[in-house]
Amino acid sequence: MLIVPCPHCGDRPEIEFRYAGPAHIERAQRPAELSDEDWASYLYLRDNPKGLHFERWRHIHGCGRFFNAARDTVSDRFVASYKAGQKRPEIPR
Amino acid sequence: MAELVTITTLPPATRFVVRGGEAAIPLIGRAFGVALPRDACRAASVPPRAALWLGPDEWLLLAPDGDGERIASEIGAALTGAPASVVDISDRQVALSVGGPRAATVVNAFNPLDLHPEAFPVGMCTRTVFAKAEIVLWRTAADGFRIEVWRSFAPYVEGLLREAAEEYA
Amino acid sequence: MSRYSIFSLARNALSGHRNWPRQWRSPEPRREYDVVIVGAGGHGLATAYYLAKEHRIQSVAVLEKGWLGGGNTGRNTTIIRSNYLQDESAAIYEHALKLWEGLSAELNYNVMYSPRGVMMLAHSVHDNQVLKRHIYANRLNGIDNEWLSPEEAKRFCPPLNIGRNIRYPVTGAALQRRGGTARHDAVAWGYARGADGMGVDIIENCEVTGLRRGADGAVTGCDTTRGFIGAKKVAVVAAGHTSVVMAMAGVRMPIESYPLQALVSEPVKPVFPCVVMSNSVHAYISQSDKGELVIGAGTDAYVSYSQNGGLHVAEHTLDAICELFPEFRRMRMLRNWGGIVDVTPDRSPIIGLTPVAGLYVNCGWGTGGFKATPGSGHVFAATVARGEPHPIAAPFTLDRFRTGRLIDEAAAAAVAH
Repeated sequence: MLIVPCPHCGDRPEIEFRYAGPAHIERAQRPAELSDEDWASYLYLRDNPKGLHFERWRHIHGCGRFFNAARDTVSDRFVASYKAGQKRPEIPR
Repeated sequence: MAELVTITTLPPATRFVVRGGEAAIPLIGRAFGVALPRDACRAASVPPRAALWLGPDEWLLLAPDGDGERIASEIGAALTGAPASVVDISDRQVALSVGGPRAATVVNAFNPLDLHPEAFPVGMCTRTVFAKAEIVLWRTAADGFRIEVWRSFAPYVEGLLREAAEEYA
Repeated sequence: MSRYSIFSLARNALSGHRNWPRQWRSPEPRREYDVVIVGAGGHGLATAYYLAKEHRIQSVAVLEKGWLGGGNTGRNTTIIRSNYLQDESAAIYEHALKLWEGLSAELNYNVMYSPRGVMMLAHSVHDNQVLKRHIYANRLNGIDNEWLSPEEAKRFCPPLNIGRNIRYPVTGAALQRRGGTARHDAVAWGYARGADGMGVDIIENCEVTGLRRGADGAVTGCDTTRGFIGAKKVAVVAAGHTSVVMAMAGVRMPIESYPLQALVSEPVKPVFPCVVMSNSVHAYISQSDKGELVIGAGTDAYVSYSQNGGLHVAEHTLDAICELFPEFRRMRMLRNWGGIVDVTPDRSPIIGLTPVAGLYVNCGWGTGGFKATPGSGHVFAATVARGEPHPIAAPFTLDRFRTGRLIDEAAAAAVAH
């Protein structure tokens, strides 16, 4: 079980959370003007990195808040977490 | 010989869930008589009332049974237009008390938090899981916890607590 | 490749089993091949086999960063069935099932294909309706699938608990009698031996680190940890690592890689006659010929290449297994592990051409790739050989995510994710 670092509550067990996919995926301001290809890209194409992954979590059985985290997808180690709305932090390699 | 753990259902209470922004928070606290704690996972109490931090803008208010109407109107009057959500959920939840030297052990049978007094001191509270149910867990004393659970899950949570008590206490 | 037979067995027994030939070579990579396949899992090796066998393309290398069959092919729970919902899926899984039926003979290698029946349990009115809909859809496509009452399900699988007062009571089941299991390692080895025997080079410990393209944008070959290997065509069959490899050609994929766990119990005498799966419970179980109960769970919730997952996921599955099969409550878990499953938004695979000339991809099988192994390799080989999709592979294009022609198999995939 992962220990997930909620920026509000601190380190908590994985079963208090719900994973919510990659972070910082921006929806177009005017989706109707996108091409099918760009819309499909927004909906479906993903980096799926083997390495540092910026992702959303929701502390559903805790404070209830969505937040973002940076985690290494090989070691599953969390490198950082930050509140929703904050800018993605620079992570030194 | 003293019991290693006692599990009891607490009497009915008045309960509110309040959500509000910076303008509303001090107004609600003043009207309720307990300042809403701003530190995460902390409970503040001025007996017989308590305010439990559930989230950055969400609190659980506890008061004696029957105070609901009065609290609602006092908070409503105090808000004077500051946006907030104040919902009476008195009957939605049941409170269980788990006390005794093995209280933490019994709770840990189905809850994964570190309940060592350094990690979860008196006055700490949080929404969390208990087996497949959701609870609010509040350490009210060195050897005592208050568990708030939605009514339909109460028999499930109490049943598991008692099973754990048989095994561990 | 020497033929296995009762005579070769007798001959080698008489010489103390010291003279069995190697099943495949470990050749040095050549400078160029007609086709380079990235990934020596079941699907990649099957592709190589059919390229050589049916399309007479023997200038083929299969590159594998680890050891062949060491990825998901060696980690799955060996279930074979074709009872998916959509017409397009029925076609490819049934194509695979028909190939399974003759595979040991075709490969001259015992893949231990055992059509012992796959029974999918229903636990609610909704489940009953969903499974019956699957049954009707399958039968319209000529695929066997039948509805069983709880009592009939227990007759088919005696350890099943059909008591009413459990968390997930059995309200019925859908049975595909022609479904079953096979020995996963044997499939990889059988295809490897067969392909190698026809001149295909299987290059292990060879990780692809880049995909080179010419001035016209077409692929020219792979940079690897064992040097550059030129190729007229590159076929990527890398399962959980698909995104990593395709990124080397600048292609982003609609894929996310998740951990999927499985475990085996201590071995016991034969007690479990078939495969049982439960979508609601997120558990599937069968018994291997070694006697171990082979149990699989739902995916862990987050993207990961760790091949590890949380114990709570396995625990949830085992809770349900113990309730459905009470006689297993005292069994001990012997070994657990994880793989990396490449999941697509519609839970259907991606087979065919890519925006890069000469680059082909076969991926997105998620939690259900093993059952498709022969069918996938067969249609992908045809696709790579001809430069256009085999008719059965045609609906599974990468382009369907742009056109919206998704093939939604989330329910039939039968594994939570």
